[in-house]
Amino acid sequence: MENTLTQNIITDTTNKLSDEKECLKVNNLNLHYGDKQALFDINLSIPEKRVSAFIGPSGCGKSTLLRCFNRMNDLVDNCHIDGSIELNGENIFAKGVDVANLRQKIGMVFQKPNPFPKSVYENVAYGLRLQGESNRRKMDEVVEKSLKGAALWDEVKDRLHDSALGLSGGQQQRLVIARAIAIEPEVLLLDEPASALDPISTLKIEELIHELKQNYTIVIVTHNMQQAARVSDYTAFLYMGKLIEFDNTNQIFTNPSTKQTEDYITGRYG
Amino acid sequence: MQLLNQLNFSRLSRSQIRTFKDKLMAFNMAVGGIGVIIAIVLIFFYLVYIVYPLFKSADISKINQFPVNAQYGQTLHLAIEEQNKIAVQYTSEGYALFFDTQTGKQIKQVSLLANHKAEVTSFKISQLVNDTVILGLSNGRALIVKHYFSISYPDDKMHIEPKIIYPVGEQSILVDNKKQPLVDVAYQQDDEQATIIAITKDSRILMALLQKESSGLLEEDDEESTAEFTQTIIALPQIQDASSVLIEPQQRIAYIAKKSGEVTVVDISEADNINVIEKVNLLKDNQILTSFTFLTGGISILVGNNEGEIAQWFPVKKDNIPYLTFIRSFNQQQSSIIDIETEQRRKGFISVTNEGQISIFNSTAKREVLNTIIPETPIQHIALSPRADFLITANDKEITTWHIENEHPEVSWAILWEQIWYESYSEPEYTWQSSSADNDFEPKYSFMPLAFGTLKAAFYAMLFAIPLALMGAIYTAYFMAPKMRAVVKPTIEIMEALPTVILGFLAGLWLAPFLEKNLVGVFSLLIVMPIGILLFSFAWQALPKKIRAQVPDGWHAALLIPVIFFLGWLALSLSPQLESLFFNGNIQLWLKTSLGLDFDQRNALVVGIAMGVAVIPTIFSIAEDAIFSVPKHLTFGSLALGATPWQTLIRVVILTASPGIFSAVMIGMGRAVGETMIVLMATGNTPVMDFSIFQGMRTLSANIAVEVPEAEVASTHYRILFLAALVLFLFTFIFNTAAEIVRHRLRKKYSSL
Repeated sequence: MENTLTQNIITDTTNKLSDEKECLKVNNLNLHYGDKQALFDINLSIPEKRVSAFIGPSGCGKSTLLRCFNRMNDLVDNCHIDGSIELNGENIFAKGVDVANLRQKIGMVFQKPNPFPKSVYENVAYGLRLQGESNRRKMDEVVEKSLKGAALWDEVKDRLHDSALGLSGGQQQRLVIARAIAIEPEVLLLDEPASALDPISTLKIEELIHELKQNYTIVIVTHNMQQAARVSDYTAFLYMGKLIEFDNTNQIFTNPSTKQTEDYITGRYG
Repeated sequence: MQLLNQLNFSRLSRSQIRTFKDKLMAFNMAVGGIGVIIAIVLIFFYLVYIVYPLFKSADISKINQFPVNAQYGQTLHLAIEEQNKIAVQYTSEGYALFFDTQTGKQIKQVSLLANHKAEVTSFKISQLVNDTVILGLSNGRALIVKHYFSISYPDDKMHIEPKIIYPVGEQSILVDNKKQPLVDVAYQQDDEQATIIAITKDSRILMALLQKESSGLLEEDDEESTAEFTQTIIALPQIQDASSVLIEPQQRIAYIAKKSGEVTVVDISEADNINVIEKVNLLKDNQILTSFTFLTGGISILVGNNEGEIAQWFPVKKDNIPYLTFIRSFNQQQSSIIDIETEQRRKGFISVTNEGQISIFNSTAKREVLNTIIPETPIQHIALSPRADFLITANDKEITTWHIENEHPEVSWAILWEQIWYESYSEPEYTWQSSSADNDFEPKYSFMPLAFGTLKAAFYAMLFAIPLALMGAIYTAYFMAPKMRAVVKPTIEIMEALPTVILGFLAGLWLAPFLEKNLVGVFSLLIVMPIGILLFSFAWQALPKKIRAQVPDGWHAALLIPVIFFLGWLALSLSPQLESLFFNGNIQLWLKTSLGLDFDQRNALVVGIAMGVAVIPTIFSIAEDAIFSVPKHLTFGSLALGATPWQTLIRVVILTASPGIFSAVMIGMGRAVGETMIVLMATGNTPVMDFSIFQGMRTLSANIAVEVPEAEVASTHYRILFLAALVLFLFTFIFNTAAEIVRHRLRKKYSSL
């Protein structure tokens, strides 16, 4: 396993960020929580069907930035955002954007597995039911496809109608991913998806991320630099609410262009 | 020594102190918890202890036995006075013998026929006229005799002096001009007149009517008779083989029975217009009538036959004509019934068979409280004391006295929970009517109207409270701004501290008349309120964004407060106009004529609102906590999948909070069932079984509160009220247990969140 991952990283070194097709573009983004500014003038573009990782010390704003992409920050009181984020060229903060619609296009997986207190099947079908889908056969297909896509099908196919709360933590997290991909989003935001899991489950999630990037643009926030190195194509380093550097992962980990990045990667602080 | 050292506080290490505190607290909590359980169990057992005698069967124990003095002839009848000290024995030779019930010693003897040249050919007690008997004589005449016990207290000691008096004069009364012996007689009297009906040896049926001329006679317990009578003799329709006759107390109807069980019901209310109402057969083919007597009150007839069956019949009016109707039969005895003796103060009776089987029944409850066989020589006569606690059995040789313990024969499962056909009712009914001014009255103890009233009150209260409380809880927990929530939630919770007596007082004295006056207005609120609120929210949406931005998220509810007041005022002030527009100016009349609904001022609507207000804080508080504590990561998970807040609420939040919401509703329900003061003051306390919202009801709890102060301690009524308390206890117990079980199952399903 290790081998293939390493090979991947090596092949990806040749890729230049500027060559990639742009999926999400952040322009002059400033974010305030009340009087306190959390993000300063972020500019960055996320390449399509690649894995981009955000790293940085706690409180650097990487999760805040991630939550901007599907406007989850709307739910936070006193949160004020300037600037724009474009999805395929359209500003997601523009007037008349349906937030629910946006969130269908940009799915999200949280740090702690959060399956609903329903059956495995109903968890995966949840997004479809929200959209008013009631065709049983279509739903069966999507559930199976999504569970296979999340590499969970073999483990749960015999207990699709048991409560999802009976699954292990790692299985729950993959179920949540299956639930997110069931509605076929364009982008998948992963907020430290493996930090609450054991090493084996973490490995499975990482393999899954590798599979998923064939079809989805993935943005992952992680604390774990090895993980960022293993799974991502591009890595952004944030520090104190500012984007310090965003480049090819190999580049960042082997030859960072700023002193701050190098210090962080080599463990001087963080 | 070592122990003392250990107890030395300064030497104890920190961890030992901590362990000690831990253990102390654990002990305290265990004691507290177990104490609560013990207290509840004790209450339960106390209720059971008070209620238990209701279901105890009767006891009979022998007191004494002494020989019969055979020289006065065979025993015709025995009777006991109130104190159980002296009994009287009428004999076939025409004697009344008074004897001491303790020793059997004869106290006094009176020869009734001293001046009559005749023999006794028939005998009957006039059941419903105190202590009066009629003797049919061999010369076609009848003698009315009454035994009387005058009580005096010389030297502060009770002395009972037995006497024989003659209510219609010492002279016997001529019934049959042909002077044939009378084979059966019946006698009945009131203040105005007396009636004698006799069956002669040659099967004619004659009625002698005595009408009073002057005052001062026929009053009960009057020792001397001075009045004059005019006497008329009327022949009744001929009935072959008539063997027994009864006259009902109003002297309007006579029942003439044959041995075969055929009874002719004769209307004797007008002397010049005697007519037969009907002929009924009380028995099956080949059965023989062996006992034919009134139950106390003179409405029901008890029929005993040679196969040991006992049945109760009474007249039921159909088209204003009373038809004798079969009501109920009692547990069949093993052999022929020879005597049925009725209790004087309850609807009870005692039967005896030719094999010595004695059974005590209560007719209304259809309950056999005692069934025993006295294996000695066959019993021929029984006598029951007025208080039904003393029994005399007699045959040719000896008289036996018995003590009877039969405190509460009136209660059975059927009385409490089934329809009972009471005397003078046209059909079986559920009735609660525990007391009345009249002594002849039989208390009616059906729990059905009370249980029904309890559930009806709870239902209407929940109908009002559940939507408001749950909607309020959902909005407060899920949409409301935290600062507003911090004001709203404690405010509603503090309403729970409002004494229900105040709510009941307001409901009964202010709300009930208010609703009566503004009924249309209040009902139009149901339409005006939602439409008005929707219109307002549309108008609000249409306002420029600048104005809307003035109101922060989650504070919008506050905007509705003036709107709701305005709509309320609007609906109520339009009430008279609406009433005259749609209901001809009087909705109560309209309800009556168009829908057939009666309107009570104190009705389920008033109770629903008042008790709803009392229950809302309970439901709101628990439900709000449940919804508020749904983990945020579940809500976020749903929102991140593109769900709108509304979809998230319906599909995730309410689902996850359902155990809490459910228990909120059930606890509210339990409170509504047990609530007393509001229903006491606002229901009108009428024990009717009508589900209409405009009718009152009587609940178990209010019933207890109303009646306990007037119930005599340890009486049947008192114990039944305790039984009602036990039922109420079980009601709330069942509600709470069901709630807890469902909540546990739901919680298990949604655990590990």
